Amino acid sequence: MSTIHVLLFSVLGQRVGKRRFTVTVGAGSTGRELLDVLVAEYPEVGAYRSVIRLAVNEEYAPESVVLSDGDEVALITPVSGG
Amino acid sequence: MTKKIDIQAAPLDVGAAFGFLQDPAAGGIDLFVGTTRRWTGGRETTRLEYDCYEPLARREMERLAEEAAGRWPVVRVCLQHRLGVVPVAEASVIVGVATPHRADAFAACRFLIDALKRQVPIWKREVYADGSAAWIKGASPPELPAAARRDEEG
Repeated sequence: MSTIHVLLFSVLGQRVGKRRFTVTVGAGSTGRELLDVLVAEYPEVGAYRSVIRLAVNEEYAPESVVLSDGDEVALITPVSGG
Repeated sequence: MTKKIDIQAAPLDVGAAFGFLQDPAAGGIDLFVGTTRRWTGGRETTRLEYDCYEPLARREMERLAEEAAGRWPVVRVCLQHRLGVVPVAEASVIVGVATPHRADAFAACRFLIDALKRQVPIWKREVYADGSAAWIKGASPPELPAAARRDEEG
């Protein structure tokens, strides 16, 4: 099993009601499988699923990324700086 | 290429940014400042609030500065974003470049602000005069780095 530190920001952080929490997934899970777990638990994540970009350990990554125990995964909705 | 990258709650100092960009090797400085606008359509904004994933935001800003320096003869570049509350007419972002000639300064500065708005994990929340508020969503997700794009396409 892998413990993943999930980070949420902006609208997702507000809708889910928390900005940092841990999730346990099977060893060797992909980003896609992590999202499946999150969507099942938080419908708010499901609403944004198609536009979420993952960042693993402070780097943008495709959903096919294989996660490791202790990874920090941020769910990045389309950004709006500036 | 010398760069200055700042992500801060304190108000941005345009004069200090200009001072940083001055360089004998440069003949042109292009300095863009984004500010909080009061009216959008019929809605009145009283302030903007900015959220940020700071370690990745800094990393992306560094990467964009390097990309600009690879494409144009950038002597100095300054990328600064303010976090938290930014009142109307105040600066939320400064993008500045110094290059030998003006055409490259305009091009590099334009590239950097457009790329920052697509890539850097910062989000704005508009707070309106009627008391409501909304997180603003960009047009599309940030792009993957080139290597990860190739992996994804298999």
